[in-house]
Amino acid sequence: MRILVVEDEPTLATQLVEGIQSVGYVVDVAHNGVDGHFMGETEPYDAIVLDIGLPQMDGITVLKKWRAAGRTLPVLILTARDTWREKVAGIDAGADDYLTKPFHMEELLARLRALIRRAGGQASTELVCGPLTLDTRSSRASVDGTALTLTSHEYRVLAYLMHHPGEIVSRAELTEHIYAQDFDRDSNTVEVFIARLRKKLPPGLIETVRGLGYRLNKAQ
Amino acid sequence: MNFALLRNSLRMRLLAGTLVWIVISILVAGWGLGQLFHQHVEAQFDAELKNHLDQLTAQLILDEQNQAKVRLLPSDPRLNKPLSGLYWQIDRIPAADEQPVKAVLRSRSLWDETLTVPADTPADGEIHQHRIVGPQGVALRVVERTVTIDTHSLRLMVAANESLMTEPIEDFKGHLWMALGILGMGLTLAALMQVFVGLAPLRSMQNALGRVRHGDARNMEGTFPNEIMPLVNEFNTVLAQNAEVVERARTQAGNLAHALKTPLSVLANAPEKRDDDLARLVASQVDAVRKQVDYHLSRAQAAASVQVPGIRTAVEPVIHGLVRVMQRVHADRQLEFVVHPDQANLAFRGEEQDLQEMLGNLIDNASKWARSRIEIQVSDGSGRLRVSIDDDGKGIAVAERDHVIKRGVRADEQVPGTGLGLAITADLARMYGGDLVLAKSYLGGLQASLILPAV
Repeated sequence: MRILVVEDEPTLATQLVEGIQSVGYVVDVAHNGVDGHFMGETEPYDAIVLDIGLPQMDGITVLKKWRAAGRTLPVLILTARDTWREKVAGIDAGADDYLTKPFHMEELLARLRALIRRAGGQASTELVCGPLTLDTRSSRASVDGTALTLTSHEYRVLAYLMHHPGEIVSRAELTEHIYAQDFDRDSNTVEVFIARLRKKLPPGLIETVRGLGYRLNKAQ
Repeated sequence: MNFALLRNSLRMRLLAGTLVWIVISILVAGWGLGQLFHQHVEAQFDAELKNHLDQLTAQLILDEQNQAKVRLLPSDPRLNKPLSGLYWQIDRIPAADEQPVKAVLRSRSLWDETLTVPADTPADGEIHQHRIVGPQGVALRVVERTVTIDTHSLRLMVAANESLMTEPIEDFKGHLWMALGILGMGLTLAALMQVFVGLAPLRSMQNALGRVRHGDARNMEGTFPNEIMPLVNEFNTVLAQNAEVVERARTQAGNLAHALKTPLSVLANAPEKRDDDLARLVASQVDAVRKQVDYHLSRAQAAASVQVPGIRTAVEPVIHGLVRVMQRVHADRQLEFVVHPDQANLAFRGEEQDLQEMLGNLIDNASKWARSRIEIQVSDGSGRLRVSIDDDGKGIAVAERDHVIKRGVRADEQVPGTGLGLAITADLARMYGGDLVLAKSYLGGLQASLILPAV
C-alpha cells in the first residue's frame, strides 16, 4: 500500500510519515499544494492524507482537481479549523473522511485503514483468503492461526494482493505500490519477494499468470 | 388634533403648515374681493342715481306761477310703476318764515308716498347722499341737490331701493365664497397628495429597513430621492462595515485556531511512542488546550454574528450538506438518513456557519449513536423554526439530559466540551434566543430539537 502525505509543516509531516510507515505502508511526502497535486495525479497511490491549509495551492483546490481528473482514490483531509463549514466543503470537494487537528496518530491510522479497506470493497479489518488471514490493524499475517514472520517488503506485497483478491496484479503495479517514489526500483526484486512468500505460504495460493502478473487464488 | 402627534409627524407638520396658509389666503382673498365688488357696485349705483338726478335737473323749469315743472319726465319705466323701487321727488325750500312744502312734484312710482330726507340743505350744486326709510319701510338710498331758480329754491332727490344694490352684492358674495371654497378644497387635496407623494420615499425607506431587520436583505435596496439617498448610502456603509468587522474577527479567530492547531498536532504526536508521565501530561494538556480553543472560538464567532442584522440562512441546504458529510464519513455503517422535505423553505435568522455548527454537532451526535436510521424534520412555529433530529440509538436517560446540556452554561467555571458537542450547540442556540430540547425519540433513541429564530 502506497500513501501520499501532503503536509506543509515539516515536523508534522515527519510524524505522519513515521506513523504511517510503522504499519507497513510506503509513504511519499509533498510539502506544498502544487507538488502534492502533481504527485497525486501521476503516481498510483492507494490513499492520500491531505492537509487543507497548504502553501501555493490549498487542499480543497488540489482535491477538486484530482476528482475532476477522475482520480477516485480515497482521500483523508486534515483540517485545522474545526468547523462544519470546512468539513462540508471538504466532503463536497470529494474527500472521503476528515480529521481535525490536533489528532492522535492511532486515530489517523484507523481512518486510513478504513478508507483503504472501503476502497477495496472489504468490510472487515481482517482480510481473509482461504487459510490466509491479514489483520490490517496489527499488520500481521497468519495461516490457519499461525503467525507468519514477514519482512516489510514481503508484507507490502502480500497486503496489496490481499486487498485485490482474485485480480491479476502486474509486476509493475506491485512495484509502484510497494516502493516510495524516490526509491530505485527494480521489478526483478518483486519476483524475489513472491518467491519468498510462496515458501512461507501454503502452495498454490499465489498463482503466476504468464505474461500478465500474479493472482491470489481465492478458491483455495 | 393631538399636539404631540402634530409635532412628531412630518406629514402632519407639512399638512398643518399648508392648511393654515390655504385658509388664511382664502379668507383674505374672499374678504378683499367682496369689498372691491361692493365698492364697485355702490359707485355704479350712485352714478346711476346721479344720472337720474342730472336728467331731472336738466328738465326742471318754473312756469308763469313760479311753480316747478318738469318738461320731460325721465324715461326709466320703473319711475312710472308704483312702488317699483326707483323714485324721484321735488320739494320746495321756502324762505325763512315759510313752512316747507313737500313733494311739489314726484314720480308716479311714489304713488301717494313722500320721501323724507334729513333737513340739511345742500348748498347750490352740492350733492348729498342719504339712507332713509321709504315706502313700506324699505331702506332707500337717496341723492339730493338744491336748485335755485331766481329766488325759488327747490330740492331735487332721486332714490332707489338699497336692495337693488345689495342683492347683486350678496349674490356675488355667495358665488365668490362657493368658488373659493372649491379652490380651498382643491388646494387641500393637492397639499395632501403632495405630502403623501412627497413623503412616499420615506415609507419605502422604512420598508427597506424592515427587510434588513428581518434578514431578507443585507443592505437597503432601491433608489431613493436625492435628499435621502445620502442617508441610505451612509446606512449601507455602516451595515457593510459591521459585516466586515465581524468577518475579519471571525477570520482572525480562525487564523489563530489554525496557527495553534498544527503545533498542537505535533505536540500531541511527539510522545506517541513513549509511555511515561511526561507523555501522559502532554497528551492531557494538549487535549485540554484543544477543547478550550474550540469552545471559546465557537462562542466568540457566535457572539459576533448574533449582532449583525440582515442575515438569513436557508435551513434545508445546510442539512443536506451535513448529511452528505455523515453519509461519506459513516459510509461503512449503512446509516439511513431521512430528511423530511421542508415545504415552507424556512430560513434561520443568523449566520450559516452557526447553523452548520449547531446542526452539525446534533447530526454528528445522532450519527454516532444511531443503529441504522436518522430522521430530520424542519417545522415552523410562530416566528421560530424547529429542527428535530431523531435517531434509533440508545438515547440519553432523562436524568442525564439536562446535565449534558447544562455543562456549557457557565463556561468560565466548567471544563468545556462534553465530547457530544451538545453543550456548544445549546449555548449557541441560547445566544440566538433559541433553545435545545432533548427528548425521547419516536424511533427509540434521542430526539434533539433545535429551536431558533426564523426569518
